[in-house]
Amino acid sequence: MSLLKDASLPAITAGFIAVLISYAGPLAIFFQAAQSAEISPQMMSSWVWAISIGAAVSGIGLSLWLRVPVVTAWSAPGTALLVTLFPELSLNEAVGAYLTAALIVFAVGVSGSFDRIVALIPPGIAAAMMAGILFQFGVGVFTSLEESPLLALGMLAAYLGFKRLFPRYFLVLLLLVGIVLAVGLEGASLAGVSWQLASPVPIRPEWTLSATLSLALPLALVSLTGQFLPGMAILRGAGYTTQARPILTVTSLVSLPMALFGGITTVVAAITAAICTGKAAHPDPDKRYVAGVANGGFYLLGALFSGSIVLLFTSLPVTFVALLAGLALIGAISGNLGAAAAEKEHLEASIITFLATASGMSLFGLGSAFWGVAIGGAAYLALHRPWAPARRRGALATGEKP
Amino acid sequence: MTSIIKNPLEHNVKHIEKGAGLATAPRDFLRDLNADNLSAGVVAGIFGLSAGVIHISAGTAAGLPQEFTLLWVISYLLINGLFGLFLPAYYRLPLPMANSIPGALLFAAIIPLVGLNEALGATLMAGAIALVVGLAGWMSLVMRLIPMPIVMGMVAGILLKFGTNMVMPLQNALVPATIMILSFFFAARYLRRVPPLVVTLLVGVGYMALSGADFSSVTFSFKLPEFIMPAFTLEAFLAYGLPLALILVGMETPAGVGLVKGMGYKSAPANAITALGGFGTMVSAFFNLHSTCIAAPMTGICSGPEAGSHDKRWVAAVIVGIIFVTAAPFYGFVFSLIEAMPSYFIAIVAGLALLRVIGSAMHMTFSGKHEVGAMFSFLIAVSGIQILGIGSSFWALVLGAGLSMLVEFRDFDFSRDSSTSREAAASAR
Repeated sequence: MSLLKDASLPAITAGFIAVLISYAGPLAIFFQAAQSAEISPQMMSSWVWAISIGAAVSGIGLSLWLRVPVVTAWSAPGTALLVTLFPELSLNEAVGAYLTAALIVFAVGVSGSFDRIVALIPPGIAAAMMAGILFQFGVGVFTSLEESPLLALGMLAAYLGFKRLFPRYFLVLLLLVGIVLAVGLEGASLAGVSWQLASPVPIRPEWTLSATLSLALPLALVSLTGQFLPGMAILRGAGYTTQARPILTVTSLVSLPMALFGGITTVVAAITAAICTGKAAHPDPDKRYVAGVANGGFYLLGALFSGSIVLLFTSLPVTFVALLAGLALIGAISGNLGAAAAEKEHLEASIITFLATASGMSLFGLGSAFWGVAIGGAAYLALHRPWAPARRRGALATGEKP
Repeated sequence: MTSIIKNPLEHNVKHIEKGAGLATAPRDFLRDLNADNLSAGVVAGIFGLSAGVIHISAGTAAGLPQEFTLLWVISYLLINGLFGLFLPAYYRLPLPMANSIPGALLFAAIIPLVGLNEALGATLMAGAIALVVGLAGWMSLVMRLIPMPIVMGMVAGILLKFGTNMVMPLQNALVPATIMILSFFFAARYLRRVPPLVVTLLVGVGYMALSGADFSSVTFSFKLPEFIMPAFTLEAFLAYGLPLALILVGMETPAGVGLVKGMGYKSAPANAITALGGFGTMVSAFFNLHSTCIAAPMTGICSGPEAGSHDKRWVAAVIVGIIFVTAAPFYGFVFSLIEAMPSYFIAIVAGLALLRVIGSAMHMTFSGKHEVGAMFSFLIAVSGIQILGIGSSFWALVLGAGLSMLVEFRDFDFSRDSSTSREAAASAR
């Protein structure tokens, strides 16, 4: 079997690190969502099992089929959305929305129009919405500073140090230092952490209009613009001429059964993809697919022991999880804010999108992510609509005299 | 260049930047007055008047008597307004004066602990520190230590609340909020002559009148600032005077100067703003007021594209001064009028007025340099944390600049060009 022949230690290590980073950072956001939904540890371990299996199956399948390092994960901005929607949103509604979102991604994938559809969304508005969703996590780092100053300062210092010295491993190192600090300073006990196998719990889906508008639509949108778009860009940047169609189709199809166990949409990884697609994974681009397979393999392992992962997170203080999630997202927040603010052509509409999304407003039972796009889109049409003869567009966009 | 020295101050104080002078200011004011800068000035003035609500809520939170709080706000408008007439007219730049909002919160919180006279003594010393920094020309050094993306991150963080407060009324006042915001968008796009904010104001007031707003609570009163003698204690100085001085020098001036520079006024007189603010703060200390300084949000309104032709925006700042001085004795009346309007009215108007300012502040924050420091400054300012009793805007600057030095030192001016900065520091001494 050629997989054995192509396998190499660097590729397997790359896959392992990618999984470790996903569990160290983005999982903390999912865990915060679970905290706001007030679910049992058993249900949480089902969620972790489902997202891990989704990433494992789609990642291994796509990497072997396409011979390209396809690193998959779950939609991190999607989990951030959940934090604000729970507990008003019921688990059944969430699952229904996951299914709808997966079907939307599937439709986009099958139609083969991913690149065209993504190009239709004004880049500043998409970035502003992402920034608005992730924003509260960044602010959370500093509100934790008041609650547990020592833990927060220690983790901040560790973040800055590791970010500078070992940018590739900073999340993993941050998790380790954070656990040590939480045990040492906050008196957290890891005694309850034991080997515990996964226990998938099926959830009956339920469809409501409000869940469709405030979760399914924004989830599909942020998954497309926040995960598939950068993920595909990373693959193409590494020299792979892969089409988006098979990747979107397979990940969305895998998402469907996993949704029934609480797994949020499976997507192409954005944060960790570059680890497996670059030279560090293997000098020969044709053999880097092994990293994608290895990544999926380690996700299988994670799925198996999802009970232990959940025990570890529940043993640690709430502020620790908030700090970890916030610090993991700071790069994404500043990147998206930068991208939103850099689009001077439609800056006002982007800022309004960001303000409305970050405000946490809700109206007619719909969340701020929906209103951010709705109000921002309306502002974009009213202020900058490109097809109308816009006399004041130049003056509006730059606000500067020549 | 041989120019006739009109101001005797310029003789002795070489670091104070020269301006166009006051002799022809009244005539130029009438010449440059137009619909754009008038409406921007009126909006900024209304914004400044509404800021009195912050003083009143801070005073109430600290348990200060009503009469004192009213005197405090009246002094704020009259004294800050007088200085605000002079500064923009002298430099022909949109530099409205008001007081420090973080300083106001500190001031109200410290009075119950150290006493009013002692707090005002600390105010006097803080003003003196700012005056010395301005006269000695150290502002450029301070601003090099705390670079623009970090200052703008703090400004954007403080302004963000005004932006989200604009959106929140959609939740419980959907119809008027939608009408007001849409009127702004469409006026911005389709009405060439009329400033969009004026349209929004008119539409908003029209809606209130039609929906039968209750104006019966409006009462009339007349009051002037009262003299008070400051007293000096070390405790008050450490707990409040020193932080206030840092806020004035390290935050208020850089924020205001950063804004006007961002709007294309490259020659903003940082030393003069600091020195005049310091002097104004010393005067303020004798009239129940905690500071005089350049006002960042109003500077944003007066110096932004809303205020029309670039070289005439200074008029808007003078109009703010006129509104302040005129309205000050009647503030009891104005306040009851503001109270009569629904609270979302001023929130929406302020948010729309600041929309582009927030946009350009964020644009400068995330311009690329000092990425980590600017991001942390922004997030800290938004989080509103208090450490050692000092508010988040101070920590945003100090921690933002400190972290930036740790992780991205090469972005600082003096790391690339240390010889010139040493020269500048030497000449500043």
